Amino acid sequence: MSLNDVLAILQGALATVTLSAIGILIGLPIGLGLALIRWARVPVLSGIVAVYVSVLRATPLVTLLLLLFFALPNIGIPLGPISAAILALTMNTSAFNCEVWRSSLVNFPKDQYEAAQSFGMQAGQRFRRIILPQIIHDSLPGLVNEMSLLIKVTPVLAVVGVVDITRAAVRIGAQTYEPLPPFLVAVAIYAPIVYALVALQRFIEKRRAAAEAST
Amino acid sequence: MNDPQKILYIAGLSKSFGKLQVLSDISFSVERGETICLLGPSGSGKSTLLRCINWLERPNAGRIYLNGSEIGVTGHGLVMKDSELSKLRTRMGMVFQHFALWPHLTVLQNVMEAPVQVQKRAKAEVEAEALALLAKVGLSDKRDVFPARLSGGQKQRVGIARALAMKPDVLLFDEPTSALDPELVGEVLLVMRALASEGMTMVIVTHEMAFARDVASRILFLDQGRLIESGTPADFFTRPQTERARLFIQRYAGVAAA
Ligand SMILES: Nc1ncnc2c1ncn2[C@@H]1O[C@H](COP(=O)(O)OP(=O)(O)O)[C@@H](O)[C@H]1O
Ligand SMILES: [Mg+2]
Repeated sequence: MSLNDVLAILQGALATVTLSAIGILIGLPIGLGLALIRWARVPVLSGIVAVYVSVLRATPLVTLLLLLFFALPNIGIPLGPISAAILALTMNTSAFNCEVWRSSLVNFPKDQYEAAQSFGMQAGQRFRRIILPQIIHDSLPGLVNEMSLLIKVTPVLAVVGVVDITRAAVRIGAQTYEPLPPFLVAVAIYAPIVYALVALQRFIEKRRAAAEAST
Repeated sequence: MNDPQKILYIAGLSKSFGKLQVLSDISFSVERGETICLLGPSGSGKSTLLRCINWLERPNAGRIYLNGSEIGVTGHGLVMKDSELSKLRTRMGMVFQHFALWPHLTVLQNVMEAPVQVQKRAKAEVEAEALALLAKVGLSDKRDVFPARLSGGQKQRVGIARALAMKPDVLLFDEPTSALDPELVGEVLLVMRALASEGMTMVIVTHEMAFARDVASRILFLDQGRLIESGTPADFFTRPQTERARLFIQRYAGVAAA
């Protein structure tokens, strides 16, 4: 395995990280928005979201990806592999994020919310000032878990031709007839990515605990 | 209802949850500086009445005026928007049975939140007032502590300071000492006594009979959603008009009467 091969895997890593990051960054607020629609029981929309979320949670990412990639161009919406990958990742992760956010919202203490209401805060303020800071903290472990899962399913993007870490490793293994080294490199790259996420989560939780402990 | 002395004016208030009629045709008014104690057996509708007053619960019938402005319904008879309701709500402070402090904010931030965020008052000015209020409830040293580290009595005193910070026309208390260990009840009642003597207008739901007898300017007695007695503590405790009130006093105020 040459230096070029390692670089190729790193390039795959870049694709994995970029696509996952885009999926996560778009999927987080969309998931929150969907959760809010469900939580506020917005007529009609709430029911649509419930169906959307349960269908997406039940659909394997690879199936969703192939469906988007082959079906959308058929109905006149041209879609490249990268766009299809981002769309599929976002749809998939937003559905799972929705459930994480929603469980925090459902468990949010009603009396705190009513206190905000009785002190004259309007819906937007109540959400921004009282609910959001607390549900972020509450949802963080679940969200990070979902992010890690998302990063680990990115190899399925290969089915539409996106070259991620794993796909790069497969290619090199096939060319060199030595599959072990490229896969070891691939594993060695996934680990720090997921570890970085978990470290970020720990950092945020520690900072908060420190703030609360200081009297 | 435009009588400037009348802070609250409630007429024909009714509320039901589905088939359950919880409040029936409640009418009373509260004058400036009065301390009203609202008594009644558990389930008689006391909390619901307080929650209807600031429209946390929407009444089915009746009118509520705060300082002459009708709450919940606009001049055109429409239900108020969130923004209109919010304005009126800032003129009533609510103190909750389970404190309902915001755990992600420090004591000082809890007290400053509504004046700064809702009333949009200058931070420096609000902070000075908030610190004075914390001194008043005896919690100056806790200003930067999070609520989780306070005792129940301390939490409730923060709850009172938070409600006072908006400079409301009236304070509504829903069983402010019911969730406290007995030895912590006194410190909260002490703060409430001080407020009463300063002339703060208050409506207090409580089971503290000795407090009601000493501090209330008037007792309202609620039974099965009806307001069946209204009078001075002396009249209520010694000459109740109804059998229901007599039974209630016997049962809950045995200690206070002795
Ligand atoms: N949100 C609600 N939905 C249905 N029933 C309710 C609700 N809130 C209160 N009730 C009922 O209304 C009655 C009065 O309750 P409440 O006002 O809490 O009484 P109190 O404060 O005097 O104990 C009770 O029977 C209670 O179960
Ligand atoms: Mg109650």
